[in-house]
Amino acid sequence: MFELDQRIAEQLTEVSLNSSVQVRCGNSNAFMVTASTMIPLMQMFEMGGVYICATRGAVEIIEAFEAIGVDVSSIQFIDLVSSGILGGTDVPYSNITFVDSPIMLESVLLRTLYTLRIIPTERNFVLIDSVNSLAIYNEERMLAEYLHTFINTFRQREILSVILNVPDQVPPTVLSNLDLYCTDLIDRGQVVIH
Amino acid sequence: MDEILRGGIPYGSTVLAAGTCGSGKTTLGMEFLVRGALAGEACAHFTATEPSVKLLENIRQYAFFDMNMIDSGLINVFDMDVLYSWLGLDKASFDLDDVHALIKAIVDIVNTIGVTRLVIDSVTTLCYKIKSEQLIRDFLFTLGKKLATLGCTTILISEITSATENAHWSSFGVEEAIADGIIVMGDVERMGHLLRFLQVVKMRGTAHSRAKHSIELTPLGVMLTPMLKWGAVSDKSTRWGA
Repeated sequence: MFELDQRIAEQLTEVSLNSSVQVRCGNSNAFMVTASTMIPLMQMFEMGGVYICATRGAVEIIEAFEAIGVDVSSIQFIDLVSSGILGGTDVPYSNITFVDSPIMLESVLLRTLYTLRIIPTERNFVLIDSVNSLAIYNEERMLAEYLHTFINTFRQREILSVILNVPDQVPPTVLSNLDLYCTDLIDRGQVVIH
Repeated sequence: MDEILRGGIPYGSTVLAAGTCGSGKTTLGMEFLVRGALAGEACAHFTATEPSVKLLENIRQYAFFDMNMIDSGLINVFDMDVLYSWLGLDKASFDLDDVHALIKAIVDIVNTIGVTRLVIDSVTTLCYKIKSEQLIRDFLFTLGKKLATLGCTTILISEITSATENAHWSSFGVEEAIADGIIVMGDVERMGHLLRFLQVVKMRGTAHSRAKHSIELTPLGVMLTPMLKWGAVSDKSTRWGA
């Protein structure tokens, strides 16, 4: 039986549209934390949005939501993973678009902006899953700069940004900058023992 | 683009849009015309690189384009090959008289229709038939001057093979000298992936941004965002170390 973390929903009630939320999770609870964040946004706040998949392909994520009985057909998925796999872009869902690689950060931003212009929902979020996956491909300074641009772009447009990360595996510069840029923190990360 | 140019291309300017293949020059030019047509302006597109049928077929995929703009005469597309035939210019190279005949034909069309936005795609292909550099300079300078007098804002599309720091922004080295504005389009290679960019190098009469912008050709038109500073140069340059 899948159980949502209700404390996340409670915390989200305090969040405004021009906020940017850093969501920290661990390796083992990533989907539970993601679902516990997204479901209240969709169901309680009737938000639409864009899910940027850098960790797993969009199909896998949609199927994971379907497995717990959550319809995500109103959410648009930008898949940065599947183009790197031959045949990965032949998918049965119309709410998935593809960007060639997590390297193409500006393309991801532009594709997100484009998607937000064509979806019907008035209140929207953008979710990056995850900073860790982007960090595999992108140099630390560039990723920090990108997140700065990304968060400010959506904050200015009153679109809630949700940035998922596993903190003990994020480059320190990126993590400290995220602490600075984000207005809110949902911390379900692992305890870090240095 | 209006934001980058702090208001847009000044009325009556001749702008060189120089770019490598696949960088989005034709789409940018066509969107420039469509935005004008939506504001009720008469527009013209002279195509020298591909037949108009093929151009329109390619451009139909964009949601910003509406075939009614062609049918209603707001956007007029001319095949240069057809124009050459009308003028009796079916020849391998043009002399001074031929160049003047060509300028007169373009200016007459602009004048007759009342065109206020014009795209020539591409000036490179057009100038291949003009063998002398001096004649190319005269052609472009005279054409630009006459179109500006008529209040026509013109985009001259130029094909270049490289858009790096040391590249020329035109094929013949003269187009850039006569243009009021230069927009460079190309690709930045980042770990094997090509990212399209656009940079306004010059635009007389504006306090424009000179930053490199990343672009995407979306169904809604060309979308831009400033290119990441740590990722604005190709791999072969210094970003990944000496």
